[in-house]
Amino acid sequence: MRPPITPLAPRPSQYGIDPSLVKTRAADLPGMTSVMLKELFPDLPEVIFPCEEGVAAIRKATEESLKNVDMSMIRPEHSVNILAAHHGFTLLGGEPYAEMLKTIKDVIEARTGCKNIRLRAGVGLRFRETEEYIKRYGLDQHFNGKAIGVAPVDQGIPIETEVGTLYGIKKIYDADWIVHAHNSDVREVHFHRQVDRAVKPFGMAYARIETRSTYHQNLGPRAANFTARAIFDSPFVQSKFAFASFLTVAPNGIINVDADNDLYALNDRITQSGLRYYGKIMTLFGEIDECIAVLDFPCPVVYVFAAGVIYANFAGANTDLYDLDTALPAYTWYTESFYGKRGKPLLDDIPRVNSAIKMCVHNYAWTGYPSAFFSEHIPTVVVGQEQADHFNMDPQNLTYMKHAMVAEDLKAAMEFAYKVTGTDKVVIFDGAMGGINVSEPLAEFLLKKAPEVSKRVDEELLPKWLRQRGVIL
Amino acid sequence: MKVVNQLAVVDAEKCRGCKTCERICPVLAIKMENRKAVVDNERCRGCANCEQRCPDYAIKMVKLEQPVLVKVDVSAVDYALVEDLCRRAKFNPEQLICYCTATRAEEVAAAILQGARSPEEISFLTGVRTGCKVECIQPVLRLLEAAGIKPEPPKGGWQWYGRTVTVWEIPEEVKKKYASRGFYFDEDIKILDRVANAPVQERSDS
Repeated sequence: MRPPITPLAPRPSQYGIDPSLVKTRAADLPGMTSVMLKELFPDLPEVIFPCEEGVAAIRKATEESLKNVDMSMIRPEHSVNILAAHHGFTLLGGEPYAEMLKTIKDVIEARTGCKNIRLRAGVGLRFRETEEYIKRYGLDQHFNGKAIGVAPVDQGIPIETEVGTLYGIKKIYDADWIVHAHNSDVREVHFHRQVDRAVKPFGMAYARIETRSTYHQNLGPRAANFTARAIFDSPFVQSKFAFASFLTVAPNGIINVDADNDLYALNDRITQSGLRYYGKIMTLFGEIDECIAVLDFPCPVVYVFAAGVIYANFAGANTDLYDLDTALPAYTWYTESFYGKRGKPLLDDIPRVNSAIKMCVHNYAWTGYPSAFFSEHIPTVVVGQEQADHFNMDPQNLTYMKHAMVAEDLKAAMEFAYKVTGTDKVVIFDGAMGGINVSEPLAEFLLKKAPEVSKRVDEELLPKWLRQRGVIL
Repeated sequence: MKVVNQLAVVDAEKCRGCKTCERICPVLAIKMENRKAVVDNERCRGCANCEQRCPDYAIKMVKLEQPVLVKVDVSAVDYALVEDLCRRAKFNPEQLICYCTATRAEEVAAAILQGARSPEEISFLTGVRTGCKVECIQPVLRLLEAAGIKPEPPKGGWQWYGRTVTVWEIPEEVKKKYASRGFYFDEDIKILDRVANAPVQERSDS
């Protein structure tokens, strides 16, 4: 068996505990190994990152991709906002996304003569998160002090759409042109269901609270995805949209950079690759019959990931997240809000969370996303009193610790988990690059199951998923 | 319902009076006095919105020695009226409308039936909108509208701008236009209607 892959080090952030408090990483525990994703699915694409060349490969790919993009609408006297979002900075250490943003700026400047190029970086529910990234990756310097984080509570701007007025963040749109700089990592498939993934930030990271609340509360679990399209298609946004540039991502790394003046053409391409590559790993995760899930990454509880699959999606992997005929996965906010006072769903056919997760060991994960649903429905052990105290002071997680236990250290937490659950299958959500850190019995299980899953996705599921989204390539 | 366990405290030396905190506070607990932000401790619900957006890092959240429970007593109102208001707004009374504070539609409905007339009053009384500060404005506006109340956004504030579309209001031509792109409008109406009309598990007056 291979040794475990070294995970990303803990990061200093106001949303997590001090990195010095993370004493042991789960990958360093006895009995852990790793499986390369190409071993599981040999048809996964070749990647340009991670690689020996480092982020220079990202710069080269971005420059190459932008050669096919029309920038003639941008004049030297114009202003341009390059729009970014927080998730990109959590991918493969964050440097690749930062490098793509820097390269876009440099190419626009070189090709158009425009100097007034700003970075506007949207957030999720941690309003200073992109401020932290802007400093960490030197984006403030690269953009000559014109790089800021924007939040959904900042001043808004009404946007007239086919379905009435929705609201964007004013500073996103305060330039002559906008450039949508994003990534195709699947991330919140429990919300977007791989429908209009490329468009989503227009209804989320670039949007005001009214719009985000529309997505999460007014439209329903699948119709919600229309929110972003309504905004993007509005005459206002269309009058400012120049082009999009995406890191295209597979579970094993960054495949390339894809840029286009036509966002929907790019959207169809990443829908296809997302369903094909992430669909396989997601379906494989759904096959796991029992396990202990260990959270060990600098991200909120829901977003820690293994092989590109976030913990929130593993909690719903007992349902086919991509099958749009299934109204609700076992976890979305629509699902969560449909639990009544007795702790069970209001309708009998609302799926419960993935019962294969026998216990969650929370070694290291951040606050800043409402996560009490997980500790309420999945037995959870949090490592360290400091981390428990940190969650107790987060306005979004005031009851997370009400349902979780505290262990003194990771070793004690794992001993407890092994003893109580009786399983020796462990999956570590530590964002390991190119592979997945797991216990040896789970490695064997995954290697055995993968070929059948691959065949099923190729022959049965992928054609259905594409048909449901009207994607014909 | 929310347990308020921290308060916003302003560092007057750092505050430059930009009013950002006043414009975004969901319970109107911050006012400018002599061009400095001043927090009304009795109103503050500890959401940290001001602390997170202050451009001068002039606000800190400080732990309360004695946490305060904020809650509207649903049993003080005729439950039939609560249920009727929720269902008119297309919510099940037990549906969670604030994920962070686990506030259910029935509590917001009870606050309205007891006289709350704006999102700010509702947030002050129930704690809704004081967790993530992002996701629950629309349910609050829908419940107010179902009660025949049309609140005005706070003057000069950025707290909220207006109610937006629900799935029941999507025009038929829009549904037809995008029928093949995976939005499932009519199917989502069906599931949301079923949830709204499902029996409650535990009446608050029982």
